[in-house]
Amino acid sequence: MAPRKLESVSLEPSEDPATFESKNVHQIYDAIATHFSSTRYKPWPIIATFLQNLPTGWVGFDSGTGNGKYLPLPADRPGAIWTIGMDRSRNLLEIARHAGGDDVVREVVWGNVLENAWRPGAFDYAISIATIHHLATYERRKLAVQRLIQAVDPNHGRILIYVWAIEQDELSKRKVVDQDEAVVADEKGKDVMVPWVLSKNLAAKPSEDSSPPEVFNRYYHMFAKGELGTLAKDAAVALGLSVGDPSAEEVGQGVEVVQDGWERSNYYVELRRWSK
Amino acid sequence: MVRLITHNLLACHVKNCNANNFPLEFQNVQLEIREAEFNPEFVKGFLPKIEWKALVDTARQLGDTSLPNEQPEMLDDDFLKNLHHVLLEIHVEEGSMVCPNCKHEYPISSGIPNMLLAEHEIA
Repeated sequence: MAPRKLESVSLEPSEDPATFESKNVHQIYDAIATHFSSTRYKPWPIIATFLQNLPTGWVGFDSGTGNGKYLPLPADRPGAIWTIGMDRSRNLLEIARHAGGDDVVREVVWGNVLENAWRPGAFDYAISIATIHHLATYERRKLAVQRLIQAVDPNHGRILIYVWAIEQDELSKRKVVDQDEAVVADEKGKDVMVPWVLSKNLAAKPSEDSSPPEVFNRYYHMFAKGELGTLAKDAAVALGLSVGDPSAEEVGQGVEVVQDGWERSNYYVELRRWSK
Repeated sequence: MVRLITHNLLACHVKNCNANNFPLEFQNVQLEIREAEFNPEFVKGFLPKIEWKALVDTARQLGDTSLPNEQPEMLDDDFLKNLHHVLLEIHVEEGSMVCPNCKHEYPISSGIPNMLLAEHEIA
């Protein structure tokens, strides 16, 4: 099947972004939670590696945990670190609670990635996977990154963020831009609606009729190349932090970009906080 | 499941509630004890990051008096097992957490705490 071109969308100036996200993101995930979760089971290699390399005894949180698939990791050292899942969808949290099997219960919190429900600097690490691309403005995406930076330890806190990219690989079912609009989208990213065709077997009310399956459209901001790195740096600056290598500074606090790249239709950035 | 590991990390975040907003106070709780695998290395690693007084006071409020007022210098197995139990085996299934400062109430239902605020409460 050829990749399908996604429908563009733009937020009207008069529209409240929180209301827009509630309708086009939160309500959708609550409706498709079970089916969505059944399709999300394989961890991305970069994220699995990040979690594998954290020291025993570290505690972190997963901002926008979805079905909680990263909560049981690392697979080779279960229980060595502790990741608390947070999500806006209550129905996804019910699933995340039992991520990795019913014998272990995970810690999950119903919360908003733009709020600050934690003691400042309480965590050793934070991850936010495929979440901040659901926020409808640059300012809101930046605020979500600020919340991650504030939640981790100022001396060693580590952060990994993953978002969908305009640049989709050959396996993707999606196509984000045509050639002629690629230049503009390359700088600013692109706002689109991504359809979710709900499997009838997993719908909230299974039906035996032959009507077409229900389609839910989710809002996404597809990131342009370099946009995630810029967003992370802007978020650090907004908190009064330096950006860059700690060796260049005499004193102060900062955020270092450890890696910034593309993996299988996603952009990721890894940050580390430092104080001197 | 709000376990005390999570409780020790949460704080009230209502707009302008910036002081004395930790620890949240449990109210009307229903507890469940579930065994969890003991990993002494994890407990030792997490120990320096715990807000100790908040943990001890909250554990006592929930009926567990096994932890000393001060962290001991010698970390023996008994101590680590008690700490493991307090952090990871006591589950608050129902009830709420109330901010000691602004009295905002965060409900807990089926083990999941609701930390969402109304629009006008967000900082």
